[in-house]
Amino acid sequence: MSAAEIWKITYETIFMTVISTILAYLVGLPLGVVLSATSKNGIHPNRYLNSILGVIVNFLRSVPCLILTVILLPLNRLLVGKGSGVWYAMILPLFFSSFAYVARIVEQSLSNVDNGEIEAIRSLGASDWQLITKVIIPESRSSLIMGVSLTLVNVIGYTSFAYNIGAGGLISKIWSFYSTHTSDFLTQAVFWLMIVLVVVIVQLIQESGLLLAKKLDKRKKLK
Amino acid sequence: MPENEIEICHLTKSFESIRVLDDISLTVHKGDIYGILGLSGAGKSTLVRCINGLEKFDEGKIFFKGELLCSPEKKIERNKRNKISMIFQSFNLLQQKTVLKNVMLALSINGQKDKSLCQRLAMESLKKVGLEEKANSYPSQLSGGQQQRVAIARALVLSPEVILCDEATSALDPETTKSILQLLKKLNQELGLTIIMISHQMNVIEEICNKVAIINSAKIIEQGELSDVFLNPRNEISRSLIYSNHLSTVLEEHRLIRILFDGNIDQPLISNIVQDCQIMVSIVYADTKVSDNRMYGQTIIKRPKDEKEVVKLKKYLAIKGVRFEEVEK
Repeated sequence: MSAAEIWKITYETIFMTVISTILAYLVGLPLGVVLSATSKNGIHPNRYLNSILGVIVNFLRSVPCLILTVILLPLNRLLVGKGSGVWYAMILPLFFSSFAYVARIVEQSLSNVDNGEIEAIRSLGASDWQLITKVIIPESRSSLIMGVSLTLVNVIGYTSFAYNIGAGGLISKIWSFYSTHTSDFLTQAVFWLMIVLVVVIVQLIQESGLLLAKKLDKRKKLK
Repeated sequence: MPENEIEICHLTKSFESIRVLDDISLTVHKGDIYGILGLSGAGKSTLVRCINGLEKFDEGKIFFKGELLCSPEKKIERNKRNKISMIFQSFNLLQQKTVLKNVMLALSINGQKDKSLCQRLAMESLKKVGLEEKANSYPSQLSGGQQQRVAIARALVLSPEVILCDEATSALDPETTKSILQLLKKLNQELGLTIIMISHQMNVIEEICNKVAIINSAKIIEQGELSDVFLNPRNEISRSLIYSNHLSTVLEEHRLIRILFDGNIDQPLISNIVQDCQIMVSIVYADTKVSDNRMYGQTIIKRPKDEKEVVKLKKYLAIKGVRFEEVEK
């Protein structure tokens, strides 16, 4: 395998992961905000809306990504022209399998904001929307950033299913390498190179997320 | 007749089947520092939260300057809510914003878009609480007392007429409590702020309030001028709140006489009793303070064993025009 080819699959992994995570946040962030706001202890409790959204989110989270890559083929063809064989065919399945996860992660982060802070700002006359944009989201920014790195790593894991639709990327290459060299894959340097690349990417995402979250967190540092 | 600032009429509220506020009526005049005293769970926090719309209630009305502020049917309007700010026991500053941004937030939430104006007003407000040099610090870098000052600055920046204090000093040490109370008093005098002060601590109320209401199990059991209520509590529960615990042990063993100082006595009364009546007096409790060169408060002494001495003492006090009463368990 040439160096150019390894770069190509590395970029494919990064592109499909980042683009689908951005899309997942475009839907998952508002969904998470609504879930947290309408929960029992939220700023605007609404049992019905909350349980309906909860059921939908739980349902989507329980559909395996592998199945999504297959059942989304027709929709994929319609939207991006191709259902398989190209890296961007993976964006839709990755998006579908992660936005519900994002919603839960966001909900979790937001629910940790101190109720007293919310109440104090409400007593100054803030509307629900102002509470969300000026208090709840800014106050939980560190936790939200940690959520982003969690999601990115999660989505990288899901990119393995690109193998099924020939969409490329590092992890599906590792898998296909393994299936074609079952007896001697461990002795192949390029196999280890690809493993190391995945580990480095995951490590970078995790550590930079942590670093940024810490830098932005102005609360008292817990020892 | 002073202007009515906040008037609460027959306010009633229940959580599910438990009544937490039962037919509460009270009037706060402009410039009052009105204390609401009660044990935890008595309903005082809920009451103050009704005043600025953080809590809904089932029956009754609240008026602000003679106009209906809120009722079960009418939600509080934003421009009136701005006139009633609140500070809290746990300060409730946004941890991820600087002190200055915390104060500015109050303005931006109320539609003030001009950043430099916001900044100027916020700095002015921080100056009033003596913290302008901490403008760029984060709350976690400040002490509790400083954080409460920032919270006061945040409350002041909207130029409110009323400040509600919900156990505002309960998380602070006695020294800091005193300085926060002095600050509130200063703001009350200089800006004409009306302050409603919730506390379970008698000494906090006593320090700065001119009026007090005592709440117990959802009801107001006593209210009026601070000196009246504190010098002459009519209710058993008020007594126990006002004397807290130090009297109960004494009361077990002795019959006592309580002497009230209401500002009329300008001579060393106790030593005069000893000299003039030749009675040995032992003081078991004293809580007095001098304001405007007059002494207010009370001293509780043991009732002399000899009945003749008791008669003599009572006569003496009557001649001197001193209020007193016998205290029994």
